[in-house]
Amino acid sequence: MIRLQRSMIAGLQGPSPQLQAVLTALQSAIELEHATIPVYLYALYSLDQTKNAEIAEIIDSVVVEEMLHMTLSSNVLNALGGAPMIDSPSFIPTYPGPLPGGVQSDLTVNLAPFSMDQLATFLQIEQPENPLNFKALAVDDTITIGQFYTAISDAIAALGESVFVDPPRNQVGPDLMWGSVVVTNVATAQQAIQTIVDQGEGTTTSPEETPGGAYAHYYRFMQIQKGHLLVATPDGGPGPEDKYAYTGAAVTFDTGGVYAVGTNPALPPGYTPGTQQAFANDNFNYTYTNLLGVLHQLFNGDVSEALFNRAIGLMMSLKGQAKAMMSGVPNPAVLTGPSFQYQPVNPAIS
Amino acid sequence: MSYLGALRLHFAGQFQSNVSTVNNDPAHFDNAIFKSTYQAMEGNHMRPPNGWFNPQGDAAFRLLGCTVGSAWLPSGPVPASDPVLGYIVADSDGQVPGKMVDLDPEQQLVSEIWGLQVRIADSTGNTLMRGDFEPAAFMDIWDRATGGGSGDIGAGATYQSILTGLEWGDVSASPFLTALQQAACGGTLSIKINVDGLNMDFTSPHFMCGRIAGTIGPSGDDEPQHMVIGRQFMASAAAGGNFFTPQGKLNFFPAVVDDTEGCIYLDLGNALSTANPGGPINDHGDLTLSVGDTSLGTIPADGTGGYASDPDWYARTAGVVALPLTADQLQAIAAAPLILAGTDGATISEWSNGAFLRADRYVYRLSPGDDPEIPIYATQFGKPLAGASIAFVLDSSQLQPTPAQFPYVAASPPVAEPDTALSFDTPEPTDANGVALLSIKATDPGTPRWFNNGADYGIDGQVYGIRPSFADAAMNAGPVNQWCFVSVLLWSGYTPADPVTWTDVQPIFQQYANLYPVMLRFLNLADYASVLASAGQLSLAFGLDVTDPNSMPVTRDLSPAKRAAILAWLKAPWPGEVAAPAPRTDQASLKADAFAESLAPAPPRGGKAAAAARRLVLQTR
Repeated sequence: MIRLQRSMIAGLQGPSPQLQAVLTALQSAIELEHATIPVYLYALYSLDQTKNAEIAEIIDSVVVEEMLHMTLSSNVLNALGGAPMIDSPSFIPTYPGPLPGGVQSDLTVNLAPFSMDQLATFLQIEQPENPLNFKALAVDDTITIGQFYTAISDAIAALGESVFVDPPRNQVGPDLMWGSVVVTNVATAQQAIQTIVDQGEGTTTSPEETPGGAYAHYYRFMQIQKGHLLVATPDGGPGPEDKYAYTGAAVTFDTGGVYAVGTNPALPPGYTPGTQQAFANDNFNYTYTNLLGVLHQLFNGDVSEALFNRAIGLMMSLKGQAKAMMSGVPNPAVLTGPSFQYQPVNPAIS
Repeated sequence: MSYLGALRLHFAGQFQSNVSTVNNDPAHFDNAIFKSTYQAMEGNHMRPPNGWFNPQGDAAFRLLGCTVGSAWLPSGPVPASDPVLGYIVADSDGQVPGKMVDLDPEQQLVSEIWGLQVRIADSTGNTLMRGDFEPAAFMDIWDRATGGGSGDIGAGATYQSILTGLEWGDVSASPFLTALQQAACGGTLSIKINVDGLNMDFTSPHFMCGRIAGTIGPSGDDEPQHMVIGRQFMASAAAGGNFFTPQGKLNFFPAVVDDTEGCIYLDLGNALSTANPGGPINDHGDLTLSVGDTSLGTIPADGTGGYASDPDWYARTAGVVALPLTADQLQAIAAAPLILAGTDGATISEWSNGAFLRADRYVYRLSPGDDPEIPIYATQFGKPLAGASIAFVLDSSQLQPTPAQFPYVAASPPVAEPDTALSFDTPEPTDANGVALLSIKATDPGTPRWFNNGADYGIDGQVYGIRPSFADAAMNAGPVNQWCFVSVLLWSGYTPADPVTWTDVQPIFQQYANLYPVMLRFLNLADYASVLASAGQLSLAFGLDVTDPNSMPVTRDLSPAKRAAILAWLKAPWPGEVAAPAPRTDQASLKADAFAESLAPAPPRGGKAAAAARRLVLQTR
C-alpha cells in the first residue's frame, strides 16, 4: 500500500474546504493515475504474449481502467472550473522515483520488464485501505489513495452544488469512454470518484468493483502472485474473505516469456544518440508526447469524437511501437524499452 | 504560384518510410499458398522465400530532424534575424505518422504518402504553421547514386503536393512566415520534397530512413497540385540501370520563369546525381543555362556555395537555383527551348517545341461505375497550351506482373486485363488554361487476378496504365518520360451475401494478416474470435476516411464495396464456415540450401528495384 503525504489533502478537510485545494488535489489525482500507466505498459509490452497471455491480459485490463480514472478525475476537475494540465514535461514522473503527489519515499517505482518483483510494486500501488484478507494479508490502516479520494469527495460535498460550473463543460462522457461519468454536480462527482476507488481497491465487502463486475486492481494482480485466478466461493464461509479464493485456473508466469529489456532507460546516460535504441525510443517518446498533447486538448474543451479517435490512434501506435522495439524488431539483437519522456521534437535534442 | 518561386523556404533532414515488404511479391496475396516464412526477414540472396527486407514495417512515414536551410522573400534571402532560419519542419504533433503505401503489388512505382501533416515549428516544437499534405505519389524515380550501392538505396524520387487546412501560430516575429501566411490566403501551400539514400540495413540506426530535401511556398488556386506550370527539362533514357538513367546525366526537372522578378527558378532537387546514396552531389562542372548558343547564366560547381563543392548546398537550397534574366533574355527564351549543360557532357533540355503534357494527379483508385474526369495539363515554353488535342492509350508497359522465377514464389496474374473495363472518349482540346479532361468510365473487371485459374481469392481488381500524348504526333518533339502516365487500380465489383458472414470476410482479413505481420501486435486478423474481440476498434479504423492516417487497411487497397461489407459484418458478426483451400503445388520450392549458403552475402536490392526490373516493357523487350 502506498501512502500520500498529508499535504496532499491539506485544505480539503474541515467544515470549509478551499475550492482551490480541491482543484490542486484533482490535478494531483490526474498525475497520479497517469503515473502508473507507463509502469504497467512497460511490463505489459515486455511480455511475449504467446507465452504469458493471461498475465498480459490482466495488466492490460488494469491499464485501461487507469486511463478511465484519468478521464474521471479530469471530468471532476473540469466540472469545478479547473483545467487539467497534461501537455507538460512536469506531468510525467521520473522513473525511477516515487509516484507523484507526495507518495511515500519508500516506494520507488521503476520502469522495468515484468517480474514477480515488479508485480510486488504493482500490488503495493494498488493495495486497498482494507484489503479483504482472502488467505492472510496484513491490514494497514494508514493513509491510502482511497483516503485521498475520499477527502476530495468529502470536500466537494462540503463545498456544495454552487461550485459546479453551469453549464457543464469539457466532459468526456460514456459516449466516448466506456464507463465514464459526466460530472455536473456533487452526486456525479462523487460517483466518478467512487468509480475510481472501487475499480482500484474494490469495495469494503467484495473484491468486485462497482459498477462492472471485474475484480479491483489489487485482486487482479494478486491472481498472478497466487498463480491462480480468483473465483467466487459462495459457500466458502460466513465472512467476506470466505466468498472468494485464489483457486481458479492456473496463471503461470513463464520467465522465458519476457523480453530482456533494461530497467529505467531514462537513467543517465540513457540511450546513446545515433543508435537503433535511441531511434526507436525517440519515435516512441514523440508519439507519447503527442498523445499527451491530444489528451490535453480533449480535456480542455475540444471534446470531439474525431479528437478522441486520434488519441486512440496514438495509443495504438504506441502499442505497436513498444511491442516492436521491446521484442527486437527490426533487429533481434537490439531490444529497446521506451523511456516515456517528454519529447516535442523528433529526434530528441541531444 | 508554387513552391518554385520568389517566396519559398528550403528544408532538409531525414525521412523514415517504414513500409512493409511482405506484399512486394504479388504471389504473397495468394492465401492458398502463403507460408509463415513469407513473413520472415530477408535471408541471404532472398533464400529461403521470405518477407523481403522489412516484413514488420508499419508503413509510417516520418519527418526526422528536418531544419530550415534558407528562406527567400521576393527581395532576396530573408535577413539573418528572421527566426525562421532556426525553425524545423516536422510531422504531426497531434496524430499518428503519415503512411507510405503502394498502389498495388503490380504497380509499386507510384508509392503515395497518406495522412501526413507537415508543420513549421520553432526549435522546441511550437507550431507556427500546420497543414495536411494532400496524398501524392512519387514521380521521376531514377538511379540517382552513381556509386556506393544500387537498387532502392541508390534511387531518388520526388513528391509535389499541396498543404491544406492550414493553421497558423503567431508568425509576427518572422517576416518570411508573415509573407507566406499572406500569400496563402487561398488556404493552401505548395510543397515539393525530394527523397534519396534509403537505408535498407536492418542493423543500422537509419534503417528505412533516407535523406529528404524540400521546398515550401505559396500555391495558386487555379494551378495544378502535383506539378509546376513551367519549363520542363526532359531526359532521354540510357540503357540499363534499375529505374531510369538519363543519357545526359541530369534527370527530369521543372523551371519557372518569373517575368516580374526577372529571373528563372530551376528545381534541380531530383536532377543532380550523387556520388553515393544520399551522398554528395556529383560534379558536372559549372552548369550553364542556355538558349541556342547564348548563355543565360551559370550555376557554379566550385567555390563558395558551389553545388558540388559546398557540402551544405543541397540542404540549404533543396536544389533550387534562381538565375537572373534581363529583359532581352526573357524575350529570347519566351519561345525557344532551354538547355542546361555541364562541362563534362551533362546536358538536358526542353523539347524543341517546348511542349509538355501530364496528368496533375496520376494515381486513381476506382470502383465499377466511377467516371472521373482527370485533368491533363498541356504547356508550351512554360505557358498553358490551349487548343491542343490529347490522345490516350492504355499502356501497361510500366506495370509489373511477376514472372515465375526466383525470387518470386509464383507467377502473378496478368495486368491490364480485361482491357475493356476502362473506356474513355477523345476529350475536348485543351482549354485556355491548357487543361483537357480525360473522362474515364470504369466497369467491373471481374476477378482477373484471383489465383489458381480464378478459383482462389487473390488480388482485388486490376491495374491499368493510361498514357496521354499530343494527338498531333509532330507535337511530341522530344523524349517521353516513361513515368508520365496515369495509374488506375480498378476494383472488382463485389456484392456481399446478406447477411455478411465470416465466410465472406475471412479471405479479406486473412490476406491482410498474411501481408502485414505488424497486425499481430494488435490481433490475429485471420481468427474469428480475435477479430470479434477487437470489433469496436476495427469498426472505427475501417470507418475512417482513407486520408486519415489511422485508416485501415493502411494499404488503401480495400474497395468501398468490400469496406461496406466488412463494416456490416463488424456490426453483426455472423459466423461462417471457412474451408481450407485445396493443396496447391504452383509455388516455388526454394530452400535454405547449400547453394544459398555458398553465396557471398549480398545486400538487399529492394522492392522498388525488383518491381522496376519486372516491368512489362523489360519483359517483352
